[in-house]
Amino acid sequence: MNRLQHIRCHMLAYKNMNIATTLSSPLTTHVLNTAKGVPGANMTISLHRLNPISSEWYLLTTGITNDDGRCPGLITKESFIAGVYKIRFETGKYWDALGETCFYPYVEVIFTISDPSQKYHVPLLLSRFSFSTYKGS
Amino acid sequence: MGSSVKSSSPFTTHVLNTGDGVPAVRMALSLHRLDPRTAIWNLITIGNTDEDGRCPGLITSDAFTPGMYKVRFETGQYWESLGLSSFYPYVEIVFSVSDADQSCHVPLLVSRYSFSTYRGS
Repeated sequence: MNRLQHIRCHMLAYKNMNIATTLSSPLTTHVLNTAKGVPGANMTISLHRLNPISSEWYLLTTGITNDDGRCPGLITKESFIAGVYKIRFETGKYWDALGETCFYPYVEVIFTISDPSQKYHVPLLLSRFSFSTYKGS
Repeated sequence: MGSSVKSSSPFTTHVLNTGDGVPAVRMALSLHRLDPRTAIWNLITIGNTDEDGRCPGLITSDAFTPGMYKVRFETGQYWESLGLSSFYPYVEIVFSVSDADQSCHVPLLVSRYSFSTYRGS
């Protein structure tokens, strides 16, 4: 991450202390540990947007899921433009912290936002040897 | 490659179109291995699923050494060929192989707006 991205992440984190801003992220996620039937708490995740000209991924936000497996404040309405995004879930590290191995060192879900005026929900249902995701609202 | 070599691939996949309840036929996919020294993904094989949604002969036992692999499914192109849009332009599943002697089955159940996978046998 370069210096500008570092500053941007800090500013986003500071903004997230405002509940109104936190609730207004048009993109949300929810991690569930389906093996144990609990939220996937304390999992590091990151949101990226694809630069269509350079085909490079640009890091927008990093965060850690809370006790409910959620990560509020992923992106602001202003930053949420149409394009291809990816959420990377650090699943290997998550299971490692629980003292277990995982088949998937990380999970990346790549998706297309065609209408940024809508709300999008990209959950991850995860066990050590399986995962699933779907487009929610 | 003869059929005996194809049937012995230690890594297999199976793609199912859960939206229509049929195998996903003629979906392009590719298998890659991560070079841990350079952190670069090396392409091993490219293929297309057959009428049963399978793609035999993806890798040989000799080549299937322990490491980090990725299988990329061209799901966006698949749905586009059916005249439909999809939420996911492609799906990549990254997985660790620690005991290369075991067979490893990584299926993909996919619809336009969801997908799931598991480690099978």
